[in-house]
Order: sequence, then C-alpha cells, then structure tokens
Amino acid sequence: MQKRAAGVAARFAFLLALTTLLSACVVRGPFIPANLAPGARASVELGATPFFPQKKYQCGPAALASVLVASDVVTTPDALTPVVYIPGRKGSLQVEMQAAPRKFGRLSYLLSPNMDSILAEINAGRPVLVLHNYGLPMLPKWHYAVVIGYDSARDRFILRSGLKQRDEWRVRTFMVAWHQAHRWAMVVLRPGEIPVIADPRLYLQSAADFEHGASPEDALLVFDAAVKRWPSEAVAWIGRGTAQYRAGKLADASQDYAAALRVDGSNAGARNNLAQTLLEQGCPRHAREQLESIDLAKIQSPLREAVADTRFHVDAAVAQTSADKPDCLIP
Amino acid sequence: MRPSPWRKTSIAILSIAILNMGLASAAQAAIVDTSALVTTEREADLSTVRAQLDRAEVRAKFEDMGVDATAVDRRIAALNDRELHQMAVDMQNAPAGGDAVWIIGVVFIVLIILELTGVIDIFKKT
Repeated sequence: MQKRAAGVAARFAFLLALTTLLSACVVRGPFIPANLAPGARASVELGATPFFPQKKYQCGPAALASVLVASDVVTTPDALTPVVYIPGRKGSLQVEMQAAPRKFGRLSYLLSPNMDSILAEINAGRPVLVLHNYGLPMLPKWHYAVVIGYDSARDRFILRSGLKQRDEWRVRTFMVAWHQAHRWAMVVLRPGEIPVIADPRLYLQSAADFEHGASPEDALLVFDAAVKRWPSEAVAWIGRGTAQYRAGKLADASQDYAAALRVDGSNAGARNNLAQTLLEQGCPRHAREQLESIDLAKIQSPLREAVADTRFHVDAAVAQTSADKPDCLIP
Repeated sequence: MRPSPWRKTSIAILSIAILNMGLASAAQAAIVDTSALVTTEREADLSTVRAQLDRAEVRAKFEDMGVDATAVDRRIAALNDRELHQMAVDMQNAPAGGDAVWIIGVVFIVLIILELTGVIDIFKKT
C-alpha cells in the first residue's frame, strides 16, 4: 500500500514537472465561437428549463426530472427516485437514465461526443443532460447536470446542477469534467423530434427501443420523422410500416414495407412483414411470391423461424381460397 | 468471472424450458419487430437463456444495493435485453452520478492544469 502511494506521488511529481515544461508553448481558446454552426446564436439560455435542487446523492433523479419536464412530461425528482436511484451505489446509472424517458412516452438519444452536438441541441431549444467526472479515472466522482445555455462571448456554459439553479462554467473546465466522464450527453425527445446532429443508426436503435411500449400513434410520429429525414434507411420505413400495421392500417403498412424493399431489396424482415400484411388483406398468393424471393440461406434465427411461420400461414390461406382479392397491392 | 453453481443450475433448467418453448413462440410470430431488425447479428445470437440470467442477476444486485423490493420488478421491466445485459455486467462499477461535492477538487484542479498545458487534449476531434 505504501509502495503504491509512493508510486502515485512520484507520478504526480513527474506530471507537475512536465506541465511546467509544457506550459510555455501551448495557447488555446476561446472555444465556443470556432465551433458554432452556421445560423446558431452567439448566446442562448433556455431559462424556462425547470430546476430541481438535488437531495443527497440524487442528482440523477433531479437532472432527469429537469429534462423530462422541459419536454412537457409531468413528473418530479421524488417520483423518479424509485426509477433511477440506487442506494448501494449512491447514484444513478447511465443505462437507467437512458431507459427512463420511454416510460413517459419520450425517446432518449446519446449525442455524439463533441461540443458541437451540445451547442446544436441548445440552439434547437433542448436542454442537454450530461455526466461529469470531477475525479480521476481511478478515483471517479460522477455527477449529472443539465446544460441549459452557452455564451460564446464569455466562453461559458450555463448549467442547472446540484443545488445551483444557475451555474456558469468556463468551457474549458466543463470540457475537462465532461471528457473525464467519456463525454456522455443525452437529450430527451418528444415523438417526432430528431436531434440536429444525429446518426441514423443510433436514432433508429433508440426508436426501435421506444416502439415496444409505445402507442401506435407515438411510434408513427417517431418513424414518420425518421423516414422524412433519412429516406434511404430501410429500417425507418419498416418502423413506420409496423406502426401503421399496429394502428390497423394494412394498406399503408404494405406501402411502407414496399418502400423499405426499394431501398434494400435483400431485407428479409421487410419482405416477411410485407407478406404478412398482404396475407391479412386477402392476398395470400401475392404474399407467397414475396416469401419465395427470400434467400433463406442468408438469414438467421429468429428471423428465419418468423419467415417459415409466415410461409406456413400463407400456404394454408392459399389452400383455402381460390384467388386473391382483385385490388392487391403489387409492389 | 467465475460461474456460480447457482448460475450453472439455472442454465440447465432454462435450457430445458426453452427447448419446450420453441414451438409455442414460433407459432405467434407475425410481424417482425423493428428492434429485431436493427440489432447486430452478434446481438441477435444472444439467447433467451442469457436474457433470463441477466434478469436474475440484475434482480439480485438491485436487492443487494438496497433498491426497494416493490420497485425492482418495474425497473427490470423498463429495460430491454441489451440494457439488462449492460446492467448485469457492470452495475457494480459503471459510473453512478451522485453528488457535485468537491471532496477531491484538488485532483480536478490538477486535471485542468494538465489540460491547460496540453498534456490532456480535450479538444482533440473524436
């Protein structure tokens, strides 16, 4: 133990010496202006973002309540404590912070780890939940806070944090604490909202997670926005198709699955779902045609089982009817 | 990571249960969920067995960590298989945001000095 402490002290002294040597040659900052996107304002403060002073160790529920209420969810930190707080860890875990918005009909999205994506969200009117680390990698001190604004002239971020309703941070200090927390930043989205800077795959993953407990109407809003933003993503069309299907709109669902196949003809999931909607519209022969064009050797379980099962039902329907309905969709 | 005897027994029991479930679950399939289509192939390989084990593991850890028993079920239900697995693997050590206390503020100041002098480059594009 003593040896280790001595080792740490030695490393410390070495680093201090190094910094003294280097301090003469590095000049930096200010930081915000160089990163501002075109059209972005020089300073923004989302003053209407609610503030909930945290209780001991409970910055998780407090910060989460802040971003949820900002997106029109009715909740409080006390209501969120049994959702995200873990007494044994004296804190809240990122996984649960990310999962919680789904309970309230909201999506969560993890921003790409750079300052631009935070600035862009603030500009779009969305406060950003961030994780900070005020310790070292081996001795971390984690804290959640909410970024509600920035001031490029003074090079500051404005936060709701802990017991402080308005906490100004030098950008550089903020970045150190954020960097030490692996640059974790999350926004809460109403169905239909997409972050300014967003990766289609990550958004669609979040949307698919959201789909499970969501109403068909909300799921439709989510994937409709995705289809408009990324028309070349097959999964966006599939998601919208499935939302249509759940809302009972079979013809619209077929159209969306067909659109997914125009983007990605080898997408067996889309083809299976198209076949299923055709079957339910009284078009089992059209459905069979679709299924026959799936290369079973190229797909894996559990999709393969799903396709086999759809095939089973389609074959049964073909045997029981003499012809498809006249107005079947031909994609 | 040593598998406990409890875990081994669970795998055996669940494996048998799932062999029996196979046919029943296939018969309900209709529309394939979008989530099944966005997950990577590696994730798709993950068996129901693992999800069950993860669930049991997270439940045990929640109880160990003093989460109210009435809330445990709801919290587990709120997580999908991927999230459950992350929790099962890392609940003990994953970052847990808690207090903004500056107990080790000195350390943080050193970090800022390191950054100022270029030893840590936080503005490096990632």
